[in-house]
Amino acid sequence: MIPLAHFMFVSAALFCIGIYAVLSKRNAIMILVGIELMLNAAILNLVTFSKHDKFEASGQVFALFAIILAAAAVAVSLAIILNVYKYYRTIDPTKIDNLRN
Amino acid sequence: MSVEQIIFYVFAAMVLSSALFVVATKNLVHSIFLFFITLFSMAGLFVFALADFIALSQIVIYVGGVLVLMIFAFLLSNKQILDNPKPMRSRFLGIHHLPGIFVALVFFLVLIWTISLVDIGQLQWVKESQENTVKASDNTIHYIGINLMTRYLLPFEVVSVFLMMALIGAAHLARKERKV
Amino acid sequence: MDTITQETTCILALVATLMPLLSFAGILLVPGRTDRGAFFSILNISFSLLLSVLVFIKVWDQPVVHQQLEWFTIGNWHFKAGILINNLSALMLLLISLIAALVHIYSLKYMEGDPYLFRYWAYLGLFCFSMFGLVITDSLLLLYMFWELVGFSSYLLIGFWFTRKAAVQANKKAFIMNRLGDLGFLTGIMIIFTQFQTLDISLLFSEGGFVSHATIQNGFWVFSSNKMPDIWLTIAGLAFFFGAAAKSAQFPLHTWLPDAMEGPTSVSSLIHAATMVAAGVFLLGRIYPIFNSEVLLVIAVIGAFTAFMAATIALVQNDIKRILAFSTISQLGFMMLAMGVGAYGSAIFHLITHAFFKCLLFLSAGAVIHEMHHLKEKYKLDIDHQDIRLMGGLRKFMPLTFITMLLAALALIGIPGTSGYLSKDAILIQAFEWSEGQAGFWKVIPYSALITSWLTAFYISRLIFKVFFGRLRLNDICGQTFSLHEAPKIMTYVLVALATFCLFPFFSFNPLHYEHSWIIEGLNVVSNIGRVNIYHTLIPAAVNLFAVLIIYLSFTWYVKRGKSPDLSNSALFRFAENQWYFDKIYQNSFVNGILLLSRSVFAFDKAVVDGFVNLLGRATVLIAGLSQWLDRRVVDGVVNGAGSVTKIIGNFARHFQTGRLQHYLVTMLLIVLSFFIIKYFSQAI
Repeated sequence: MIPLAHFMFVSAALFCIGIYAVLSKRNAIMILVGIELMLNAAILNLVTFSKHDKFEASGQVFALFAIILAAAAVAVSLAIILNVYKYYRTIDPTKIDNLRN
Repeated sequence: MSVEQIIFYVFAAMVLSSALFVVATKNLVHSIFLFFITLFSMAGLFVFALADFIALSQIVIYVGGVLVLMIFAFLLSNKQILDNPKPMRSRFLGIHHLPGIFVALVFFLVLIWTISLVDIGQLQWVKESQENTVKASDNTIHYIGINLMTRYLLPFEVVSVFLMMALIGAAHLARKERKV
Repeated sequence: MDTITQETTCILALVATLMPLLSFAGILLVPGRTDRGAFFSILNISFSLLLSVLVFIKVWDQPVVHQQLEWFTIGNWHFKAGILINNLSALMLLLISLIAALVHIYSLKYMEGDPYLFRYWAYLGLFCFSMFGLVITDSLLLLYMFWELVGFSSYLLIGFWFTRKAAVQANKKAFIMNRLGDLGFLTGIMIIFTQFQTLDISLLFSEGGFVSHATIQNGFWVFSSNKMPDIWLTIAGLAFFFGAAAKSAQFPLHTWLPDAMEGPTSVSSLIHAATMVAAGVFLLGRIYPIFNSEVLLVIAVIGAFTAFMAATIALVQNDIKRILAFSTISQLGFMMLAMGVGAYGSAIFHLITHAFFKCLLFLSAGAVIHEMHHLKEKYKLDIDHQDIRLMGGLRKFMPLTFITMLLAALALIGIPGTSGYLSKDAILIQAFEWSEGQAGFWKVIPYSALITSWLTAFYISRLIFKVFFGRLRLNDICGQTFSLHEAPKIMTYVLVALATFCLFPFFSFNPLHYEHSWIIEGLNVVSNIGRVNIYHTLIPAAVNLFAVLIIYLSFTWYVKRGKSPDLSNSALFRFAENQWYFDKIYQNSFVNGILLLSRSVFAFDKAVVDGFVNLLGRATVLIAGLSQWLDRRVVDGVVNGAGSVTKIIGNFARHFQTGRLQHYLVTMLLIVLSFFIIKYFSQAI
């Protein structure tokens, strides 16, 4: 039996890697990847604790919802990134600093 | 140390190392493929958390959906996105990375410290859930199905509508404009 | 006469007065060609003439017509405006409308082709209106207003050719001179009002009016409860006379009249010979009872002096219109003399007869000028078309003009059979009768008048002989033979019509005795001068015999021998030619004096007032500089300091606002972390 704390250590490490990606990357897609990493860390936590909630399985249901939402978010943000690239000829978020017109 | 534990740590190590490579590499294509490994390993960790349905969903949705979507988006869009436009001159510890690294490390330390402060096995609700604890032989899908169709029916429907909207929206945004 | 006919008469007179105003307003307000208005104004003035005749018939030798309305009220004083028509005003009304109508008709041809002719007709209308108003009004205040209007319209008409500098100068001069006179008139009105509390002419000056009730007691001029030192009576009389002197061009305000000849000749004949200048005499006639004996003496002296002076000046002038202008001044002097010696009726009588023959003289001269002008235009000669030295022999070219002018000249000299004989002799005879009762020195006055009448005979015969007899001297000068034409028909009709009025039957059926004239009888003045029979035969005989001699003398000088003794270098000649240096004296004393005064005031203004103002300005500038320094260094310093601090803070804060999401995120996470850490440590502690 693996202690819950170990799951949480992995999750914490993953989350911090995600934070680093989000804060440091100069590429929108990599930022998106970082967000996905953070989401995965959160999902891992949810799933881990749902071990003690057999009948209601709230953690797993929420993990499902989170996965679905993450998928939707990825779809929409990719579309947005493509449009941004079409408009600015770059996807570096530090250079996208003016509103349209 | 049992085999189970060894496998778990192997998976954990894979997740963390591949994730580190994902964020560290300068090649976008490499990072995407490494992200592939990260997500797979995550699914393995889910299995160890006794959530086999979530692990399957992770593989189906993330690996089959999200990653494929990303790769398709890259392939469909300008080649320049694939070739990292500026070959990153700055190293891993570039000056603009410092705040990110600093924040991530501090965050990590805080989290570790917090987790280590709490003895999760001795928590009240964990102790009281003896009956409620999932065993490796239990079928969790049964309960998930019942809950989705009873207790979480409304979120479920909302999420389904939301998903459809997101798809339509993504398709709308990504379409080629006929005229500017 | 009952009230209803009185009202009718008043309305007739009022309409007669308003008709010219109608033509004035109509011509100015209705747009059209620039030479419009001729027939409209002739129609109106003819209507006025008709009404005047009706009024005259109704009023002459009848009780006075007087109607009035409340005009305005100040405090307890009620000012009334109304119409007062007695024999004098009815006569004046008729005279003015008759001469005005004839001049209107004459102008039709004389002014033909002048640009902006509608102004001429409009101004003539305004003038006639004010003149009519002046003679029929019953209030001194209204009289004064019309007096001013007459002066103003005269100003407009003198300056009708306002593009000529001389005309502008002349109308300015006339206006200023008249203004001086108006000052006197106004003073008189104020004194009268102070004493009698009313300005109603019929109340004041009618028989048994206020003025005759006022008496002199112990050096005071007393009327009911009011009294003032009797010097005021004299001052009032002198003030009124001063006003009249300005209008009638008497010494010392006579210099405007010769200059006023810059206006069109028809205007000169209407205004400066027949009507406006007579307004002064009319005024004296209207307010005659106010004058005491001292004032009358002054009037007589000034009248005699003016008459003599103007006659001497007229002897040597060469401009046809200027000769007539000085002749007018001289004749007006006669009228004043008559007023002064108490021959009220004779003065008015002479006013009437003089109006006709002087108007005729001017119009005939106008005809001559008209033709000379045509000649000048036709051959493009560089001559003065009014200079009598260039004329001569015009009798052959313009016989009708010659005959009418001759008649007028005879009337001016006073040859028996003409109207002038009656009126002029009346004045002379009464002057002599008056001198019987005077102290030694004043006996000079009638003799000067006698000499003046002989001078008159000389200058007018000189004019006639030079213009109409001999040869056309223009031919000699230009070496060409010119010929002239008779004046246009309409003009000659007017001349003939006026000429008939120069004959005696219109004024008296007895050609030799003025006392039988209906005007003298109609004016019905009780003369306090004893009749001295000897003068009534001696004077006319002496005057006429001597006049004939003088005419013969001038005939020999100017026609027979063709040259006259050259006196042009003698001092007297130059003295007369320069019009007794009055213009120069006025120029040097008044005009230059005022200029000097203005200059000194200017210098004072510049040095003292401006200096003070500039000092003030400099002080202000200094203070302003100080306050500016204070403002810039201290106040602005504080403000700028506040601004700089804000700017520094803003610049500092700006660094956080980079527009980069990732920086925001870093900040946000750092803050979250800090909260975490603080929370834990605080718990741990």
